[in-house]
Amino acid sequence: MFEILLYIALFLITVAMFGLIYRVIKGPTTPDRVVALDALGITLVAVIAILSIILRTNAFLDIILLIGILAFIGTVAFSKYLEKGEVIENDSNL
Amino acid sequence: MAFQILLNFVLAFVWMFLKTSYTPATFIVGYFFGLLILFFFRGFFQTRFYLKRVYAIIRLVLIFIRELILSNLAVLRLVLKPKLDIRPGIFALPIELERDWEILLLSNLITLTPGTLVVDVSPDNKTLYVHAVDIDDLNDAVSSIKNSFEKAIMEVSR
Amino acid sequence: MTAIYEIIVMLFILSGTFLTLAATFGVIRLPDIYTRNHAASKATTLGAMLILLGAMFYFLFFEDHFNSRLVLAILFIFMTAPVSGHLIGRAAYNSGVKLWNKSVADELARDRKKMKQGKSI
Repeated sequence: MFEILLYIALFLITVAMFGLIYRVIKGPTTPDRVVALDALGITLVAVIAILSIILRTNAFLDIILLIGILAFIGTVAFSKYLEKGEVIENDSNL
Repeated sequence: MAFQILLNFVLAFVWMFLKTSYTPATFIVGYFFGLLILFFFRGFFQTRFYLKRVYAIIRLVLIFIRELILSNLAVLRLVLKPKLDIRPGIFALPIELERDWEILLLSNLITLTPGTLVVDVSPDNKTLYVHAVDIDDLNDAVSSIKNSFEKAIMEVSR
Repeated sequence: MTAIYEIIVMLFILSGTFLTLAATFGVIRLPDIYTRNHAASKATTLGAMLILLGAMFYFLFFEDHFNSRLVLAILFIFMTAPVSGHLIGRAAYNSGVKLWNKSVADELARDRKKMKQGKSI
């Protein structure tokens, strides 16, 4: 029963990820796509947590932290690019 | 605050040397007795007793968690409602907090409040621009921001 | 005893899954970027946090091993989710994405216009 429910949860999250991918492809503006990508990153974390329960291993748990950090940095870089047109600003008066 | 914590550590180490046992258990007991001594002599310090501040921080964290759960319920209600009859909009919210990290905490809290999301901060740090899903039933959100959140943050920072 | 533990873990994971689905539904259904941001930045956060809590309890109960990295991940997601929501909202506003046409108020645009006039005088 426990295993079956885990597989059902994994399936539902995959459906949710497909919905977010639909928004990434369609999204009328670029910020829409960034919102969907950010949510995709956090959903990926959830997928890995459920997978590591199904496989009964704790080898993947470090990846969770890594993907969380990468999703946040990606969002910050994207929104900075949208706002200023570049990610890392060069100080021209240096 | 930092000075009081340092004093507490020194008292704990003094207790460890007095007992001539260097285990973590002795350290904890010594820390507790040091806390008692600091509590009795709290009138002699310039600043207030630091456990009060710790208590304020814990209360702030609890408020954060409660707001997260409440706002999720609100989002669920918004998303699963069959008819989409919302009236979104951006409104200006004057704030009293001044320092940068206080405004950071407040805007994080507002983002976690049901139905509100900070869009921008004015250049003079006096106004937050908040996007609300439903601008009609905004009054209790604003009053809770004004009364409970700002007060809880001030309790920590003062 | 294991049955109770399994029910606790399952409760966390299923409620997290439900919240994630609701967030996706909101992102697809709501009309403009700002309201979508509401759904994405709140519901996904709590969903992922609940699933991670479920995984933490699973490893604590069944494998007798307390994984502190999961706690760190939960704290990190809890701290950064509002920040990224705020950043996307501000970037969208500054890059000129319009609000939904049924929006009722935009005091930010009004204040910006006022400030620009004040500068030109």
